Amino acid sequence: MADFLSAYSIQSWLESCPQGYLEDTEYGHAHDEKEPDILLDNEVLREETIKATVQLVVGERCALSASSGLINAAPDEASKRFLATQTLDEARHVEVFTHRLYDLGVKKNELESVIRHYANPNLVKFAEVLLEKVDKKDFIAGVVGQNIVLEGMAFSVFEMMYAMNEPINAKFAHTLSGTIADERRHVGFGENRIGSLIKENPGKKSEIERMQKEMSYWMLATFADAFRGNRTLDELNKLGVERAHGHYQGADLGVLSPEQMEHVLADTVLAEFKTRLGRIGVEYQTPAMPA
Amino acid sequence: MSDPLQGHDDASAEPGAGERRRFILDDTGFNEVPVKYRKFYRKWRGAGDALAPNEVVCPVCKVVIRSTRELRPGDRVYCMPCMSRLVVVRGESGMLEARVAY
Repeated sequence: MADFLSAYSIQSWLESCPQGYLEDTEYGHAHDEKEPDILLDNEVLREETIKATVQLVVGERCALSASSGLINAAPDEASKRFLATQTLDEARHVEVFTHRLYDLGVKKNELESVIRHYANPNLVKFAEVLLEKVDKKDFIAGVVGQNIVLEGMAFSVFEMMYAMNEPINAKFAHTLSGTIADERRHVGFGENRIGSLIKENPGKKSEIERMQKEMSYWMLATFADAFRGNRTLDELNKLGVERAHGHYQGADLGVLSPEQMEHVLADTVLAEFKTRLGRIGVEYQTPAMPA
Repeated sequence: MSDPLQGHDDASAEPGAGERRRFILDDTGFNEVPVKYRKFYRKWRGAGDALAPNEVVCPVCKVVIRSTRELRPGDRVYCMPCMSRLVVVRGESGMLEARVAY
């Protein structure tokens, strides 16, 4: 256990992250990378991109509140140090996605009103379930909610978005690849730290299972809204622009309908929840399906 | 030790296993760990990707872990990108897989 916790050092984070994959980046991407003209010039595509980016900002603001709030609830110094690095990672994510909103034309004095306007209420509910645990300084439930459920969801969402953007938007794909690298550490901490703590606190399992079920419901409702109400594909068809053929989970995203994409993502995330929770001894609870 | 293969017990190796093969690792462009460890990891390229005898996928973060030595069931390996300690097992498909050791 001592060796395991000793990996959570600031030095290790410095060498991997700022001196590693973030070296020579500016807001997560190369200095000369720009958003594609079509996203900036077409009002429907620009609005849909702003709407999608707002959900990323909302999710990352939740992750920032949760990781910073869990520092003082952590039972050991190494976990506190890891959560301090995660707090900076999450703050960076908030910043890079917020900066993307500015790149898409959102004015600084309109930022909060744009976020309030587009924030998906189901995603806000998802965040509230987690932040309630954090407010109670419940370390085990908080880390499962943050580093397994929220980060597990983010890991899959970012990978899908990376597959969609990599052929057509190098700037945003670059930003996403840095956040995916961060998420690897976060999910690793969630599983490894909680995997040992849950064995010592088996009485926490039922509460954690209820939380996972509730968070999963709000997550699925968010996915449903995000895919079913999206006008991007119709607009691309109208413009005669061919969709990018990124591949995710063996599927060609360039031929799937929005509903099919929603199902691929939901199935992937729920399967990951089941596997990750199973590994730490928590029984996955199937959520109700949103209408 | 910088190699992810951190422990093994060749005495309990599978029958007919013989000597472990050695591998020279090249840089795969993986940049999520400090420079001196980068050659020990690569990104999983999805469907169509295949693992070499010295490679195993981390089930936590999906990165491919690479050793300078052939991997075998029972080996203990370390995944630096997500800081997971793993044990190599032979999966139902016959392929090597890694299980997390908490």
